[in-house]
Amino acid sequence: MALLLDIFGFLSVVLRGLVLTTQSLMIGGVVFLGLIVGPVAGKLGAVGTAALARGRRLLFWSALTLACAELVFVVLECVVLAATVDIPLGLAFGAAFARFGLIAAAAAAAATFVARGELTRTRVYILFALALAVLAAQLATSHAAAQVDSRAALLVADFLHMGAAAAWVGGIPYFLLVLYRTHDGRAHGLVGRRFSLLLVWTVAVLVAAGLVMAVDYIGSIEAVYGTAYGVMVATKVVLLIGLLFFGAMNNRIIERMTRDPGVPVLRVRRFAEVEVAIGFTVLFAAASLTSQPPAVDLLTDRASVADIAERLAPRLPHITSPDRDQLALSELQARINAAAATNAPRPQAYVPGEGMLPPRNAADIAWSEYNHNLAGLLVLAIGLLALIDRTGKAPWARNWPLLFLLLGGFLWIKADPEVWPLGDVGFWASLRDPEVVQHRLFVLLLAGFAIFEWRVRTGRIRSPRAALVFPLITALGAALLLTHSHALSNVKEQLLMEISHVPVALAGMTAGAARWLELRLDAPGSRIAGWVWPPAFMLVGVMLLFYREA
Amino acid sequence: MHTVRSLRRAAVVAAMLVALGSIAADAHAIVVSSQPAANGVVHGKTVELVVRFNSRIDPVRSRLLLVRADGSSITLELGDTPSPDTLAATVGELAPGAYRLRWQVLATDGHITRGDIPFTVAP
Repeated sequence: MALLLDIFGFLSVVLRGLVLTTQSLMIGGVVFLGLIVGPVAGKLGAVGTAALARGRRLLFWSALTLACAELVFVVLECVVLAATVDIPLGLAFGAAFARFGLIAAAAAAAATFVARGELTRTRVYILFALALAVLAAQLATSHAAAQVDSRAALLVADFLHMGAAAAWVGGIPYFLLVLYRTHDGRAHGLVGRRFSLLLVWTVAVLVAAGLVMAVDYIGSIEAVYGTAYGVMVATKVVLLIGLLFFGAMNNRIIERMTRDPGVPVLRVRRFAEVEVAIGFTVLFAAASLTSQPPAVDLLTDRASVADIAERLAPRLPHITSPDRDQLALSELQARINAAAATNAPRPQAYVPGEGMLPPRNAADIAWSEYNHNLAGLLVLAIGLLALIDRTGKAPWARNWPLLFLLLGGFLWIKADPEVWPLGDVGFWASLRDPEVVQHRLFVLLLAGFAIFEWRVRTGRIRSPRAALVFPLITALGAALLLTHSHALSNVKEQLLMEISHVPVALAGMTAGAARWLELRLDAPGSRIAGWVWPPAFMLVGVMLLFYREA
Repeated sequence: MHTVRSLRRAAVVAAMLVALGSIAADAHAIVVSSQPAANGVVHGKTVELVVRFNSRIDPVRSRLLLVRADGSSITLELGDTPSPDTLAATVGELAPGAYRLRWQVLATDGHITRGDIPFTVAP
């Protein structure tokens, strides 16, 4: 039980992310198959048959995963609730979140049975009813449902926002299934045009409903940059713009395709693939948003423009490591103490198991800044070498992926000084800390990338699939960074740290998407993308090089 | 079909990896106001304790505990509250000294949160 409580906060967000993603895939699938492909399946020939068969399989697996994730989530929450409030487990299962969670799980499980047969009109109606049940159950345990004021308006807005997001983001993988391994420009154009029309409406609804919620949950411009909730919403808006960009590009091609079925479908596929990556990142950002208190409620511990400007102002990087046993740097510590002294006393809130976190001292900050700064130097060098390699005039530069191994080794040792190999906490014991787990996972991703990409660059692996490991891992790392937050006792410090991570994550996402397009697109798009990602990498390096935490 | 299967497998792996990266340090339900306030001082033996949150609370599955300076604690019986976002209790026969009002709440959106409100009872 102690271990469960330790990792409860982490697990609950993971499960919420999984629920939101699979829920979107299920609802998006029902909408796509029921409204986009179903009504015109007869006109699509082989493409229609393939789209329905593959779509039903994806719908089945999405609904099954959703049902399992909901069940695990409800059981986990009930066990923790019963243990921490000291109530019978039966009483915990009577809570609203448990009842609605079980309803969502039952609806998703029912959808798996319906999706196994041919999609007759009756089955489509049943699937729509089940998708609505899932959405309604999710809504019943949302921020909106827990509000005291403006509840009705927020419930309607949230329902529309979640439904539109699911129809859009969840529908794209089904659209890709239509485009893969079929060669019928007329059918692709017809499906694409119907999907584009739906997306125009879903985007309008998504943005309008999002604005209603933003006004109520954020409340002021100051709260957009001054709270973690506001910053995360702003990040979602940036990602939304990215989604719209690729969506608009696809829309143009599809328009041409409907006039001329000979227009190649390749670009639509590639842009849709990038949309899937961005869309799922948005969903996980949304999941981590649900565990933040709405900005409008956080009246103390907000960051001001001056706080943010001071934090982002460039300063010479740390290029030598502080001693692990070194005591606090006196001057900086004095500033931190003075700042802490001015903070008004406030009640602490935390999720069970998280525990009360000790304040970080100056040595901790110097340690972390050094880690980020040195990592930045290595990433900058990687980007620069990749750019030189791109010119084709310096064959030696193609070995640049090996620098990632150096970076991974450095982070493995230095990222968490309190755990193995530097600290007293053993390797396995350290995995109870979700932040350590994330750092370890990040290093493993780096090592995997380094080896793969070096072998690809040097011709040891000739499979074009192996080359895709790089953009996948880069995008994953960026998404990971976006949903990763640092557990600190000081809410404002935590926000300032996250503000500096967001641009790094966005530049990383850009690099991953650009490299993916370089590999998968045809000219001239691939050439342009090839010149985009090395500078994006260098930008990440520069931001890390000047990264500060105080 | 191989491409489709690969894509599906990649999507599942991607979702799992991103899921592993998600973590939140904050929680949804936070204290908006309390009586007594954090680090406040109250007088008299009988104290009215009221905590208002930023969301609706499930009172049957929420608790207020009074923790004494020596670490011992008593679970308080929750009284009627004027609003679904508020917990209230009355406690009598309090000796002067330092106390902590420990709250753990289940918000109706399913978030479990808890925290402490330190206060002092003056003679």
